[in-house]
Amino acid sequence: MTQAQQAAATAPATATPSTAAGGTTGVPTPVTAPVARPTTRDVPRLLNRWQVVAVAACLLFAFLTAFLQVLGWQANRAAADNTEQLVRVQNIQSTLFRADALATTSFLVGGLEPPEQRQAYDEAIDQVTRLIADAAEAQPADREVLAALNAAVNRYTTTNTQARDNNRQGFPVGAEYLRGASNQLRAGVQPLMQALTDANSQRAEDELGAQNPLLVLLPGLAALAVLWWVNRNLSRVFQRLVNVGVAGAFVLVALLTLVAVTVSSSQDDGNSELRDGSYRVAVAEAEARTAANDAKSNESRRLGAQGSGAAFEEGWQAAAQRVQDNASADTRRLWQTYSGLHVRVVELEESGKYDEAVALATTVEPDGPTAALDAFDQASQAKVSSAAAAATDELRSGNSIFLVLAAITLLLGLGAAGLSTRGIAQRRREYA
Amino acid sequence: MKRHLTDARRTTLARACRSLALALSAVAMLAVTSCGYDATPLPRADESPVNQAAPGTPATCDAATATQSYAPDADAAQGQSLQRIRDRGYLVAGVAADNYLLGSRNPFSGKIEGFDIDMVNAIATAIFGEAQGSVQLRVITAADRIPLLQADEIDLVARNMTINCTRWQQIAFSAEYFRSGQKLLVRKGSGIKSIEDMAGKRACAPVGTTSIENIQAKAPEAIPVTATNDTGCLVKFQNGETDAITTDDTVLAGLAAQDPYALVLTKERLTEEPYGIGVNAQRGDLVKFINGVFERMRADGSWQASYDRWLKPSLLVDATQPTPVYGRRP
Repeated sequence: MTQAQQAAATAPATATPSTAAGGTTGVPTPVTAPVARPTTRDVPRLLNRWQVVAVAACLLFAFLTAFLQVLGWQANRAAADNTEQLVRVQNIQSTLFRADALATTSFLVGGLEPPEQRQAYDEAIDQVTRLIADAAEAQPADREVLAALNAAVNRYTTTNTQARDNNRQGFPVGAEYLRGASNQLRAGVQPLMQALTDANSQRAEDELGAQNPLLVLLPGLAALAVLWWVNRNLSRVFQRLVNVGVAGAFVLVALLTLVAVTVSSSQDDGNSELRDGSYRVAVAEAEARTAANDAKSNESRRLGAQGSGAAFEEGWQAAAQRVQDNASADTRRLWQTYSGLHVRVVELEESGKYDEAVALATTVEPDGPTAALDAFDQASQAKVSSAAAAATDELRSGNSIFLVLAAITLLLGLGAAGLSTRGIAQRRREYA
Repeated sequence: MKRHLTDARRTTLARACRSLALALSAVAMLAVTSCGYDATPLPRADESPVNQAAPGTPATCDAATATQSYAPDADAAQGQSLQRIRDRGYLVAGVAADNYLLGSRNPFSGKIEGFDIDMVNAIATAIFGEAQGSVQLRVITAADRIPLLQADEIDLVARNMTINCTRWQQIAFSAEYFRSGQKLLVRKGSGIKSIEDMAGKRACAPVGTTSIENIQAKAPEAIPVTATNDTGCLVKFQNGETDAITTDDTVLAGLAAQDPYALVLTKERLTEEPYGIGVNAQRGDLVKFINGVFERMRADGSWQASYDRWLKPSLLVDATQPTPVYGRRP
């Protein structure tokens, strides 16, 4: 720009319009269409400023939208991880109650327990130990509680071992150790399990609800508003309705926003369905499995109390209600088979036929309550695994679309910034 | 020139790609690092009250007449209480399942057996002709004994229950069927040789028993610790939560038989503990019937046989059935 141009451009607002830009010779030049009221403003500086604003809006939009898309990707990954951790934690809980049901039922049997039941107890404890290690590896935030859980499980198994050792020597103190172990499980282990379940279900559900289409819309709307404002200013100064570059950027940003919001919204709907579908089935079925094993343990403790097991029957009823509330239709049928046999055990005991009640409760025959509970446990575990796998698979499959979109958004956001620059540069050339 | 331009374009493209990769990495890093979770809160352990007994009040009634019961009566067998039991089809007895030798579940057979259970079986046999199938044993704690009798939920209690005047105000007792006494069980090599050494030491007794009151009267500086039953005290003893167990010598003999490191101090009896069968206060006919059964057990030697089987091998003393004292009226 020449000194004359600068002078003209910085002239007071009262300067004559006909001495506008381009006039380097002092000869009055007719006012041309692109240049309106150039004398009232420092147009190059304004152009620079508008360019900075337009470019910044495009870049900020690209960065923020891509950031939100990566957050969406991350949330889905975390939701899958947290769902797996929740199921893992619930599996620990169910397996511990299964171990307790096996231990208490074995104790009712005179003499040594059936080897299959002892083996099943050992396998349950081994599984709990492995799951605790896996859970600590998977979620660092759970480690402190898992360490406390590990110690509590050790105390529980040690007490059970003392119970069995004394029982094998014919000492009644074994039964007292068994009662102590069951009490430890409920008073010492259960609160830790509850804390883990609460924390992980909260995390999983937070992540499932982390897709926020409205939030994704905001950077786009802001950028569009800024581009519209820049275009309006340009049109006022240069008397052209549309600046092609800025308009191109506007369209690009609008398209990217539309795609981002659509994908986010679709994912949000998908996650809501998942939360009410396979995720809920997995969590509820795991709760039912824990409650069923708790019920079987209470049945054995009731018989151990021989006539004074009212508190344990209340425990059984409460656990049974939790099973009814949470079990899926498939497994509820198996639960009802067991439940009917439990009623028979209670009837036998209450009619004075204690020995027959114990015989029925402890038999390993396929038509006994122990086998019925085992059938429920296996079906329930399979249901939890399949529902959890369905939930996590759905969260992980197709999740990479967020990363692809983030890359495209960044790329095209840069492109929008380039278009804005180009459009304003065109005006700058015209002005020059 | 054209090649030069192509190279420049390539360089620009490469730079743009690098910038994009950097930006993506930054976005990813930002996203990942912003997703750390708060640590799962560790639940606070329940601050359970220390399992120690509140100071009790020793019985102050006349011990000389406490064992007086109702004289046996031939008409008792036709009484309302007996009829109720016959109508039901079985006798309901509150017993222990953890008092080794008195009433405990045999881990090999799963059956509850012992000296007290023999008394119950003798009563059931007298009512129904045989005990098998005629008795419902309800395992109860010491603290449950009186409330369950008062509620009439069980016919009798045969659970090493001491007869005393305080309890006579609440329930009725049969004649004394065994004379026990409270002693101390300590760890071998603990240095505790008598009740005087218990100052500042912890002594465990089941909640709801007279044992905890007695130890507080004899050794006020001992620290009382309670458990729900005698075997619960043995668990606390084995886990180092109490220094001694104090209860009847019959029970202590059973506990010591389960722990090679336990020693019963046999020198002194802290108290005299006359055992009776507890019955609801309104069921005097049942008390009279039971006393008749005990008379027959003395005559046919079945009481002695039961003592010799269950208690003599551990107590290592000869004993005979206590002489009943009658004179009390319902």
